[in-house]
Amino acid sequence: MNVLLCSINTLKMLYDISTVEVGQHFYWQIGGFQVHAQVLITSWVVIAILLVSAIIAVRNPQTIPTDGQNFFEYVLEFIRDVSKTQIGEEYGPWVPFIGTMFLFIFVSNWSGALLPWKIIQLPHGELAAPTNDINTTVALALLTSVAYFYAGLSKKGLGYFGKYIQPTPILLPINILEDFTKPLSLSFRLFGNILADELVVVVLVSLVPLVVPIPVMFLGLFTSGIQALIFATLAAAYIGESMEGHH
Amino acid sequence: MANMIMSSSKPLIPLCTIPTKPKFQILQTSIPKITTQKFPRSQILSLASSTLKSLSLLAATSLALAPPSLAAEIEKAALFDFDLTLPIIAGEFLFLMVALDKVYYSPLGKFMDERDAAIREKLGSVKDTSSEVKQLEEQAAAVMKAARAEISAALNKMKKETQTEVEQKLAEGRKKVEAELQEALASLEKQKEDTIKSLDSQISALSEEIVKKGHASNQCQDSAQQ
Repeated sequence: MNVLLCSINTLKMLYDISTVEVGQHFYWQIGGFQVHAQVLITSWVVIAILLVSAIIAVRNPQTIPTDGQNFFEYVLEFIRDVSKTQIGEEYGPWVPFIGTMFLFIFVSNWSGALLPWKIIQLPHGELAAPTNDINTTVALALLTSVAYFYAGLSKKGLGYFGKYIQPTPILLPINILEDFTKPLSLSFRLFGNILADELVVVVLVSLVPLVVPIPVMFLGLFTSGIQALIFATLAAAYIGESMEGHH
Repeated sequence: MANMIMSSSKPLIPLCTIPTKPKFQILQTSIPKITTQKFPRSQILSLASSTLKSLSLLAATSLALAPPSLAAEIEKAALFDFDLTLPIIAGEFLFLMVALDKVYYSPLGKFMDERDAAIREKLGSVKDTSSEVKQLEEQAAAVMKAARAEISAALNKMKKETQTEVEQKLAEGRKKVEAELQEALASLEKQKEDTIKSLDSQISALSEEIVKKGHASNQCQDSAQQ
């Protein structure tokens, strides 16, 4: 019995070392509601990083840009390019939305891989990329839905709903279904990719702590960037789609 | 739907913790499965190692007899746990959008557009001077052309003048030479005639002499024959 207890203890210890905390949250109570504190904390850090770096880089723009300003100009041109190709000539007002979508997701994803969150111990759960929580991705996807509805309605008024019976009224159910599948696919794609990426890295690290996980980590960085780009591009594409005229 | 996925993610929960009552039932039903699977396998493989057995036993017992201290760490594994985080994140995103627009997109975008316009303007003015330069170049080319034509005309004129001069001189020289030649030829002819004349007179004198001598010799021969 003694041996058995001992082995139970070792098993638990091994489990604790290789623990993968999936779906474990650090809860805060706000009013009668619960929030995932780890998501909020990391999202604040991400927002702080974005705002502070932007303020520092753009504070005093020079005609001949230097390092930081150059980078931020490059990013802005990239965002404008994405918006312009997806939305068309009237992309101007949508640059903040698309750009913030891209930057927030991108910095969130990379923060999960690059920032040493594990240094900060939480009572429960762990700090990770904000985008590996379904709440974040669904929030962003719903905002995208709201955005493209707003874009369509403000451009064409109630005539926007005419697109539901285009090209034939038979497609009405499918067109309505699209409004649900769009945010669903957006949120689940991002959520699944980021969560899977972090899980793969954690599992590999628990198996082989040296060298082997490095390529996977780099792959993770790549995937994170691509996911941010895909999310922003699709959001822009949906907005552009609802704004384009039906002839 | 969220509940369905949540239940499917349950195996990811720590095995040694025992969740609330419904989950306990699930785990209980899974115990026989584990034991029946693991015992035959160890027999078939004839490993018969006590460690394997104890491990499988241990797995079973740890599930069944989890100490209450572990149960304190009970936590629902909530992958799809929607709560107030969602609207808060949405609000944070909107705040970030407005803030970034204030500090980044608008000012930098405006700055970049202005710089673009300035550069384009400068480029336009540069284009204007280029046309001016072209005009000047054309003028210069025209001047050069005129000068070249002038020079070539003068050159031609000079060439012609010198040529006529040279020809004139040449003709003069030729005339002179011809005259001299004529003179020389004439004098030569005269000398020839003179010599011929003198020769004629000599010839006649000689022939007379010859005739005289012939007569004399004839007389001698006659006399000898006789």
